[in-house]
Amino acid sequence: MRGLGVLILALVAWRVVTVGLAEGYPATFWMSQLINGLVLGGVYALVALGYTLVYGILLMINFAHGDVMMIGGFTGFFALQFFMALGWLQGPAALVALALILIVAAGMFGSVLTGVTLERVAYRPLRGAPRLVPLISAIGASLFLQYSVLLIFGVSPRVYQKPALIEGGFRAGGVFVPYTGLIIFVTSLFLMLMLYLIVQRTKLGRAMRAVAEDKGTAALMGIDVDRVIVFTFILGSALAGAAGVMLGFHNTVVKFNSGFIPGLKAFTAAVLGGIGNIPGAMVGALLLGVIEAIGPSALGIPTEYKDIIAFTVLVLILIFRPSGLLGEVVSEKRA
Amino acid sequence: MLLPSVQRGLRIGAIAFAILTYLVLVGLPLRLGDLALPILAGAMALFFWLALRGGKSKQDVFNRQPALLFTAGLSGGLTAGLLIAALLAVFVNLTSSGVRLQPIFDKMTPPNLAALYGVAPGAIVGGELSPLAWLQQALLLTVASGVGAALVLVERWARGRPTPRISALRWIPLLLPIALFLFVLWLGMPGVTFGGNNRGTIRLLAAMVTIGAGILALRAAHPGRERQLLSLLYLAGVAYLPFTLDQFQNSVLGIVFIFVMMGLGLNIVVGFAGLLDLGYVAFFAIGAYMYAFLSAPFSSPWLSAQLQSLGIPANAPLLSFWMALPITMLAGWIGGVLLGIPVLRLRGDYLAIVTLGFGEIIRLFMLNLAELTNGPRGLLNIAPPYLFGYNLGNPRDIFILGLIGSAVIAFSAYRLDNSRLGRAWIAMREDQDVAQATGVNLVRTKLLAFAIGALFAALAGQLYAARQTNIFPENFSLFVSIDALSLVIVGGMGSIPGVVLGALALKGLPEVLRGVDEYRIVTFAALLVTMMIVRPEGIIPSTRRRRELHEEAEPVVGEDVPSVLERLAPELKSDNPDGGKK
Repeated sequence: MRGLGVLILALVAWRVVTVGLAEGYPATFWMSQLINGLVLGGVYALVALGYTLVYGILLMINFAHGDVMMIGGFTGFFALQFFMALGWLQGPAALVALALILIVAAGMFGSVLTGVTLERVAYRPLRGAPRLVPLISAIGASLFLQYSVLLIFGVSPRVYQKPALIEGGFRAGGVFVPYTGLIIFVTSLFLMLMLYLIVQRTKLGRAMRAVAEDKGTAALMGIDVDRVIVFTFILGSALAGAAGVMLGFHNTVVKFNSGFIPGLKAFTAAVLGGIGNIPGAMVGALLLGVIEAIGPSALGIPTEYKDIIAFTVLVLILIFRPSGLLGEVVSEKRA
Repeated sequence: MLLPSVQRGLRIGAIAFAILTYLVLVGLPLRLGDLALPILAGAMALFFWLALRGGKSKQDVFNRQPALLFTAGLSGGLTAGLLIAALLAVFVNLTSSGVRLQPIFDKMTPPNLAALYGVAPGAIVGGELSPLAWLQQALLLTVASGVGAALVLVERWARGRPTPRISALRWIPLLLPIALFLFVLWLGMPGVTFGGNNRGTIRLLAAMVTIGAGILALRAAHPGRERQLLSLLYLAGVAYLPFTLDQFQNSVLGIVFIFVMMGLGLNIVVGFAGLLDLGYVAFFAIGAYMYAFLSAPFSSPWLSAQLQSLGIPANAPLLSFWMALPITMLAGWIGGVLLGIPVLRLRGDYLAIVTLGFGEIIRLFMLNLAELTNGPRGLLNIAPPYLFGYNLGNPRDIFILGLIGSAVIAFSAYRLDNSRLGRAWIAMREDQDVAQATGVNLVRTKLLAFAIGALFAALAGQLYAARQTNIFPENFSLFVSIDALSLVIVGGMGSIPGVVLGALALKGLPEVLRGVDEYRIVTFAALLVTMMIVRPEGIIPSTRRRRELHEEAEPVVGEDVPSVLERLAPELKSDNPDGGKK
């Protein structure tokens, strides 16, 4: 099995080298692809953290997490409309910055509300049920969220308009860097840092880690397990909400199913890094973003196959290294 | 005691308000038209009943004292009524002050707005919400909650009475399918005007209910001669159905039974072997495309070029439907094994995600490999099956083929379930490590589950391709997998008659209820979640599943999984309450 993996890796490397030599793209092309990849990776990381946090504690894939993110994108869109009507986005830079922060906060709020409701309605009654049961419930919840949004807000996609201030970008060493890309990347790094501090330095974070380690013992130590789980959902959904808004600015549209594919990819990222492992999710997501951005041109295949690359990476990782890059083996042991 | 009951009422009221708001936002009152008021009020009464009675474990004080029950109920109804009236007032005021709601909420166009007040007719007077409307809303919901509370009392009274036992009554459910069948026949007779324009729909519905009732009745019958006789009778009835129904009814039942074939295959993978496969549509697609390649090679640019270079005329089917059967089956088998090998080491939710990825990869390939699959333009002019020169492509014959296919697959699945292999699957589903330790060859068992399941799906796919005659990549989206999975789950995982019932409920009913098609997926999704919470074992649970899912509730914390012995024989546990638990 291991030999096969090395063989596949060698084949891919060989293909990349031959294509790279044959096509001869300039270095700036690769740099700008790398930047695209990092920006996308930052967004994936925020969503992937939600998967990893919930998986770490409940050992369950929150299939609806991508849709929680989509709801954040919608909430953020309405906040954007609101501030645009108020005229804040045409105002001075400080006001625009404040408005943008509030928009992201609105997205986070929308997602948190969804995530907590989801936990209460669809997951909590199923604690202790066989493992397929909550997964199926999560699939149902995912469909329910998507199609409720379709019914309530309609089919037409919502278009995010960037305020003039963050339109465009700058050049660094011949490589064009869009402002939104930079903002997205910095914001996601900041949010990840915040999460890390919460998990490592606060009392609730310690409780979270204890529950992830062993629910029974944690409960005996006086930790309210239900509360910790709700808190986990709050953290994960808040990150997803921020990601939803930023993805809205990045892709310029949100629609009812725009959370599905990014959600799947973020899950891939979480698995790539080792699910249940917080730094792993961040590393895996950045890696996946870069692979996806560079992959089609490096392998010399059309960009329509971008999604296939992500899925193939997922399948290969699960087959050859189910523990992910930084994780312990969970796919067999605890599954 | 009064204050807690009011608090409880407030909570229930808030939930009722959330539900009503959701229903208004998705535009249900609009769709229901004149019926909106009675239906919504009835639904709310039912909701209050369910909310007030509590679960089985919650035999709390509220349920014992009528006064407290009504306090909780009425305060809940009042809360919900006032909140919904306030919401409507906000909407009305916004609209009358010129704010357009429609860009945000799709269903809130000004003409629709009036209809959305179906909850309170006559609520808008001259563009303003009339003061009376507040009262009306509050009253309506309070009455609904009162009815709900009364229902709790009625239910308790009814439960307190001994149920009469008359042995002759046992025959009523057994003979019901026969009565329904006669009803279907009667509706088809010339000169019957019952139901007017809806006669066709009623007949279709009655036919589906007949099949479903037949299955349920067979389960209620005594095993042995009684069941054998009845099943022969019912089978004869079902076999006669295609000849009496019209084109549309046959075509609906045809697709239902194609899904039965697929569901039976998925039931082997998910229900018997416990491998959650979310990419099952891939095998359905493999079967359909394989038959399409063999039957309409001229649709595929690459294939027709190859055939021409070999000197074979590409403008005719290569093989007939029957000759193609073994090849599609083989293709499905190989597809199943090819999916199975890489995922051998994965379990549970990982498996689900990887199979989902596989399904998507297959679909993306179908979409992008335009040379072979003709991309989104699809493969066209697939030949229908012929038998002795007679064209079997019409809805009636497709339905018959679906029935035959389902019967063959159901019989195979039944035999498999009770075979050595079937027991190995169940052992593997319950606990892989123990199964391996007792000598089950995991690799072989898993691969066989995937391969056999895939084979059945490929068969269904071939029949589907022959029915449609043109197939496109979007016919094979993730939703086919989800449909198939939901029908297996709703019917009851691992239960063969459950698959038929699930397919009738999930594929057949939406066809009948064309009008509410918009709400199909949402209803599905809500049903899936509710089902998991209330009755995870499905409509017709397989006996083993029911035992597994309804042992005593495990403690919320801790992960201790009961041993295999406990699962298979829960009665052992009562002797030794602490045994087996860590």
